[in-house]
Amino acid sequence: MTDLDALQRDALAAVAAAEDLDDLERVRVTFTGKRSELAAAQKGMGSLDADERRRRGQALNAFRQAFTSAFDERHEQLSDAALRARLEAERLDLTLPPRRVPPGRPHLLTQVEHEILDVFIGMGYRVAEGPEAESGTYNFDMLNIEPNHPARQEMDTIYVDGFDDVVLRTHTSPVQARVMTAEEPPIAVVCPGRTYRADAVDATHSPVFSQVEGLVIAEDVTMADLRGTLLAFARSLFGADRQIRLRPSFFPFTEPSAEVDVSFEGSAGNHGWLEILGAGMVDPNVLAACGVDGDRFRGFAFGIGIERVAMLRHGVHDIRELFDADARFLARF
Amino acid sequence: MKLPLSWLQEFVDLHLPLDELLEAMSLSGLEVEDVTTPGGGAAGIRTARVLAWEPHPDADKLRVVRVTGDGGDGELELVCGASNFDVDDVVAHALPGGYVPGVTGPDGRPGLTLEARTIRGVVSHGMLASAKELQLGDDHSGILTLAPETALGVPLEELLPLGEPVIEIAVQADRGDHLSVLGVARDLAAILDTPWRVPEVPSLPEPESLPLSVRTDGCAAFLTWSLEDVEVTTSPLWLRQRLAQCGVRAIDVVVDVTNLVMLELGQPLHAFDLDELRGPALTVREASDGETLTTLDDRTRELVPGDLVIDDADRSVSLAGVMGGAETEVSADTTRVLLEAAVWEPTRIRDTSRRLGLVSEASQRFERGVDPHGAQRALARAAQLLRDLTGARSTGGDEVRVDPPVGWAERPTVELDTGRVSATLGLELPVERQRQLLERAGATVVAGDGEAGDAGGAGDEGDVGVSGRAGDPGDAGDAGGPGDLVAGSATLLVTPPSWRRDLLRPADVTEEIARLHGYERIPATLPALPVTGGLTPVQRLEREARELALAAGFHEAVTRPFVGEDALLGVAPSEGRVLLANPLAKDASAMRPTLVEGLLQALRRNHGQGRPGTALVELGRCFRPVDDELAAVLDGVVVDEWRWRSPAGEDLPIQPRVLALAAQGLRLGDGWLDLDERWSVPDLLDVVDRVAATLAPPDDATWRLERMPVERDGFHPGRTVALLFHGHEVGLAGQLHPTEADRRDLPEPVVVAELLLEPFLAAVPEGGYAPISARPIVRHPALSVDVALVAADDVPYATLERAVRAGAGQLLDEAWWFDEYRGEQVGGGRRSLAIRLRLQAPDRQLTDEDAERVIEAVAREAEEVGATLRR
Repeated sequence: MTDLDALQRDALAAVAAAEDLDDLERVRVTFTGKRSELAAAQKGMGSLDADERRRRGQALNAFRQAFTSAFDERHEQLSDAALRARLEAERLDLTLPPRRVPPGRPHLLTQVEHEILDVFIGMGYRVAEGPEAESGTYNFDMLNIEPNHPARQEMDTIYVDGFDDVVLRTHTSPVQARVMTAEEPPIAVVCPGRTYRADAVDATHSPVFSQVEGLVIAEDVTMADLRGTLLAFARSLFGADRQIRLRPSFFPFTEPSAEVDVSFEGSAGNHGWLEILGAGMVDPNVLAACGVDGDRFRGFAFGIGIERVAMLRHGVHDIRELFDADARFLARF
Repeated sequence: MKLPLSWLQEFVDLHLPLDELLEAMSLSGLEVEDVTTPGGGAAGIRTARVLAWEPHPDADKLRVVRVTGDGGDGELELVCGASNFDVDDVVAHALPGGYVPGVTGPDGRPGLTLEARTIRGVVSHGMLASAKELQLGDDHSGILTLAPETALGVPLEELLPLGEPVIEIAVQADRGDHLSVLGVARDLAAILDTPWRVPEVPSLPEPESLPLSVRTDGCAAFLTWSLEDVEVTTSPLWLRQRLAQCGVRAIDVVVDVTNLVMLELGQPLHAFDLDELRGPALTVREASDGETLTTLDDRTRELVPGDLVIDDADRSVSLAGVMGGAETEVSADTTRVLLEAAVWEPTRIRDTSRRLGLVSEASQRFERGVDPHGAQRALARAAQLLRDLTGARSTGGDEVRVDPPVGWAERPTVELDTGRVSATLGLELPVERQRQLLERAGATVVAGDGEAGDAGGAGDEGDVGVSGRAGDPGDAGDAGGPGDLVAGSATLLVTPPSWRRDLLRPADVTEEIARLHGYERIPATLPALPVTGGLTPVQRLEREARELALAAGFHEAVTRPFVGEDALLGVAPSEGRVLLANPLAKDASAMRPTLVEGLLQALRRNHGQGRPGTALVELGRCFRPVDDELAAVLDGVVVDEWRWRSPAGEDLPIQPRVLALAAQGLRLGDGWLDLDERWSVPDLLDVVDRVAATLAPPDDATWRLERMPVERDGFHPGRTVALLFHGHEVGLAGQLHPTEADRRDLPEPVVVAELLLEPFLAAVPEGGYAPISARPIVRHPALSVDVALVAADDVPYATLERAVRAGAGQLLDEAWWFDEYRGEQVGGGRRSLAIRLRLQAPDRQLTDEDAERVIEAVAREAEEVGATLRR
C-alpha cells in the first residue's frame, strides 16, 4: 500500500518547489496524473473490503484536497509572478519621440491667403479665379489702363510670345473684369492668385508674387464702406487694436484711390504706419468697359499683396525665402 | 522730385514743423519718399583767404598753402591736392576738429571729423573743401572758391544753406503738376488752405518777327525769346547749390538757368545758340519716316511719323519735348541765345521717349502734361535770370498760339452733382464746403442749372452755398450735423485750373474734394451686402487635396513657374512651350510645361543644404501652347469648357491646375541603425490615388485611375507609370533614371508624380456632389477568403482587382493584395498576387460553401482577363 502521508508530504513539497507554471503542471501530472501513485492507489481500491475502502477513500480525498489547495495557491502565486515578469519585460520608453513621418505644412503664402480669403468669406464674399496668362484686354484695357498710359509701362509687364496681346497678369484685377462682364451686380468677390512683373530677383523683388484683390459692386456702396471693410480686415489679420489710415493715391482703375496703412506698435515702444494695400472706388471707365451700369451701381476694390502681409506679420526679411522651398522654412510655419 | 524746403517757402508760407508738414503731405497725396539734409552737420568750416602757396617739396600734385587763420587773423598752413585756386581767393577751410559731411569717414559712410595730420613731412591744419565734400553738388574737380568780397573767418553754414531739408516725393502718374517747386507749393497751399504766390516776371518783349510756324496739332503753344550779350560762364554758387539739391548737374549758366526754371515752374525750356540757327526761323512739324537727328548726347536718332521735330530754315535742330539737337547747342563761345518754351502733346512725347529709350527731365514733364498757360512765365523768368546773372539783353520775343486751341490742352468744365459726391464718399459734405475745397485747388466753380439740386439758390452763382464762406473751412468741414445734411445736393460747374490735367470727370473731382477735405474724415462703415459668400464645392475640394498631400508628409512649396530649355517633363509630355517675349533670364525663357522641374530644383537646393530627405508638393498651373497635345487630353476628359479666352474669343495658352509631388532621400530614420526607409514611387501614388478618390464623384467606380507602365526620358524604365483616366494620361509617377538623378547631383532614389486636377475639378457640379449616403453596418461576422491570381506583368493590378470584385459581387466588403510572388512556379514575366477578400452578407452568417462559390466565380472572372487562379 502506498504511504499516503509520505506521498502527501512529497507532493506538497514538490508543489512548493515548482518554479514556474510549467514546472507546477509537471508536478500535477506526476502526483495526480494517470500514471501517478495516486492513480495506482485508486486502482487498488477494488480489492479492499468496505470499511477499508471507506477509510482509504477518505484518506485519498484528504490527499486530493490538500494537493488541490496547495496547487491552486501555488498556481496563483506563479501566475501573478509570470504576469509581473511579462509586464516588466514589456516596458516601453514612452518618453522617446515617435518614429513617424511628420505631416507637411501648407506654405506660408497659402496660409496667409486662406486667412485673408476666410476673413472676406465671413463678410459675404465669394472667391473667383482666372488665368495667369491673360488677355491684355482684361489685364489692362477693361481696367482703364490705356496702351500708352504710364501705369502700363510702370507695371513692367512680362509678355507671352506668339500672341498680339497676352501677358502674364500683372495683378488679379483681370479676374474682377471677368466677373463683372459675366455676372449681374450685386457682386462681392475676392480674387486670389499668382501675378507677375518683370522684376529681377532680389531680397525685395520677385517676378512672381501673389495677390488677393476684392471687388464689391452694389447700388449704395460708399468709400466709407470701403474703409470699414478694410478696417475689419486689418484688425482680423493684425490684431483688434489696429487702426488704418487712407492716403490719396493714383490707380487707373479706381477714383478716388487710396493707399492704406495699418498702425503698428513695435516692441521697443516705437509706433507708426505700414503700407499694406491699395484701394479705391471703381473708376467709372472700368464699370463702363465691363458693362456695369455706372448710374445705378457703384463699387469699391482693393488689392492686397500676400507676400507683403506674410513678410510683415512673420518677420520674413527676404522675399526669396518664400520661393526657394527650403524645407526648414516650409516646416517652420 | 526733390524739393528744397526753402525753395518751397518762396512760394507758400509753411508755418508748421517739418514732421507735421511731412505728415500733411503724406495724407494728401504728396507721397514723401525721403528727406535729406545735404551738407547737414557741417561744423568747424570757416571762410579764409589764400595768403600764399608753393608746391609740396615732396609731392608733385600737392600744394602747401598758407591761409588766414580762425577769425580771419593769423595764419595756418595746410596741404591741398587741388590746383584751381590762387593767392587772394576766398576758400572754405575745414579746421582740425571740424566735420566735413561729404568726405567718406573711417566707417565707410559720408562724414569725417578732421584732425591735424602730417602729409609727407608737412603738418596740415585741416583741409580746403570742394563743393562735393560739402554736399553742394558733384563738383570735385577743385576746391570751392567763394566771391572775393566774402567776409573771412565766418562759419560756412552761415553763408550757405547747408543742412537744409530737401523733401523727395514720388510723383503720381496723373499729377504732372507735382514735378515743380511751384506746383507742389501750390498744392500745399490748397492742402493747408493758405495763399501761394509766383515770382514777378517781365512781359514778352517786342516781337522781333522771327518766322515761327507750327504745322502739327501736337503743339499747343510755341514761344521764343532772344537774348544777346550773353556770357556763358559758370553759374553762381546759389544756383549751383539749388541744382545740386535737386540732383541736377550744373553745366553753364545758360543751361543751368533753363534747368532751374524747369525745376521751379515745371516748364521745360530749350536754349539754342542763335548764331547757329539758320534763317533764323523755326518750324514745328511731324517727323517723316526714317529721318535722323543727332541729339545733344551726340547720338543719332532715327525718327518715325508721330515724333515732333523743330526745324530751322533748312534742317532739323531739336527733337521736340525730348532733347535738343547737337548742332545748335549753346557753347562757351555763344553770345546770342534763343530761348524756346512750348507745350507738347503728352502722348506723343511719351511714345517718342519710350521708343527711343530716351528719358529726359523735359520728356518726363511733357508726358505727364505741363501747364498750357505756363510757357510764357517760364520764358520770362529765364530771361530775367540771364539778364541778372550775365548782363544779357532781351532783343525780342515771338509767340504762336494754336487757334482754335487743340483738344488735349483744353480743361473742360465738369458738371458735378454734389449729392453724388456725398453718396460716393459715404459722408455728407455741404455744397458750400465742396465749392470751397475746389476753389482752394484753383478751380473755377459756378452753379449749374440745378437739375440735380434741391439746395436753395441753385441757378444763381452767388447763392449756391448755404453756409460758411471762403477761408472759414473749420465750420463747413465738420460734416455730419443735421443742419449740414440739409445742404443736400446741387449742380456745380467746375472748371479745373490750367495746371490740372487730372480733373476731367465727376469721379476725378470727387477724389479732389475727398483729398482736400481729408480721407481721414471718411467714416468706417460696413456695407449691407445683398449676397451670400463662401467657398464653392470645387474650392473646398482643392483645399482638401492639399491637405491629403500634407498629411502624407509632403511640405507645400511655391516655386517660380519659369523654366529654361532643358526642363524635365511630367504628365502628358510635349515639346510645346509658352515662351516669354521678354524673359528675365535665359533659364526662365518659358512658363513651366509641368510642375516637376521646379520641384526637382527645390530638392536639389535642399540636398545641397545637407538634408537627408525632402518631400514637396506644389499646387499650381502648368502652361502649354493653345494647340498642345494636352488639349486633346483635356478635350477627352473634361466635359465642360476648359479653355480660357480673351474677350474677342481668342484662345489663351492652356493653363490647367496641377498637383505635383517630388521626394528624395530618407523618408524616415536618419541615423537610426535599424531603419533606412526612403521615399518611393508608391508613397507618391498613394497620395495621388487619395487625391483622385477625394475629388471624384463618390461611389463611382468609373473614376479610377489606371496605371500603365511607360518609358519616358529621364525616368527609370521599370519604375514609371502613366495614370490613365478614360484612356487619357492625366498623371505620371516615377523614379528618375539613375543618369538623370546623377546629372542633377541628387542621390537616388528621386521620385516625382504629377496629376492634372482640371478633369476632376471640372466635373464637380455647381452645388457639389450629392451627399454620400450611409451603408448599413452588417452585424454578421465577416468571412476572409484568400485567392492567388497569376498574371503576366502587363496585366495591371486594377484589372485583377476588378476581376475579384466581379467574382465576389454583393458579398464583397473589401479586397486588398497582401503578397506578391515571382519565381519558377509561376514562370518568367509573370507574378502571383495573393489577394484577401473580406466577405459579408447583411442577412446571414456566411459558410464555406459561400467561400467556395466566390473562389470559383473569381477564377472565372480572372480567366476573362488572362489570369489564372492558383489552387
